[in-house]
Amino acid sequence: MSKSLLIINRQSPWSGPSAREALDIALAGGAFDLPLGMLFLDDGVFQLAPAQQSSALQQKDLGANLQALPLFGVESLYASARSLRERGLEQQTLTLATEVLEDAALIALIDRYDQVITL
Amino acid sequence: MATLHVLSHSPFSDSRLSSCLRLLGPTDGLLLCGDAVYALQPGTAQRQALDLMPTGIGLFALDEDLCARALAAPTRVQVVDYPGFVELSCRFDKVNSWL
Repeated sequence: MSKSLLIINRQSPWSGPSAREALDIALAGGAFDLPLGMLFLDDGVFQLAPAQQSSALQQKDLGANLQALPLFGVESLYASARSLRERGLEQQTLTLATEVLEDAALIALIDRYDQVITL
Repeated sequence: MATLHVLSHSPFSDSRLSSCLRLLGPTDGLLLCGDAVYALQPGTAQRQALDLMPTGIGLFALDEDLCARALAAPTRVQVVDYPGFVELSCRFDKVNSWL
């Protein structure tokens, strides 16, 4: 049985390579059928904000790539309720279906996984 | 499944420490290394937050990073060297590095 891995994704999509690297880890792991979860925390929730235009910064569209997660078998997607609230984002407008969890549930979530990495 | 959370960024320039403190489980540990040891700077909100942590949570700081920055660890914090870092990594079920 493979070890489960939770990837905590906490950088904005425009702050550097971290957001894309977190996605790459998830897609690579998903391709090998590893039991993966991804948690969007802190500025990471901005990756899920609607109507972003990556072309304005001559970058690839991370949001479109995030849509590939469920196709690669990564269906355990979570977002921090606190991070969303702090940043004025609402769950129903997010570009990816995530389970929104409060801090206590996030502690239990991290506890449940065999391995955790925070990018 | 206790987690050792490893922080290495200054708590004065980003939110890793505050986010990490909110996500600590009751038996988790927190290891400060690199600029994260600045959280122990006396008279700061960050230091106060660490002083108020429940005793069930292990607090650790890397000795050489404290020495380099002329910081003293309070008694609440266990100072470890690199072999101690390795031992901690094995003692906990998993390690969460806040990269």
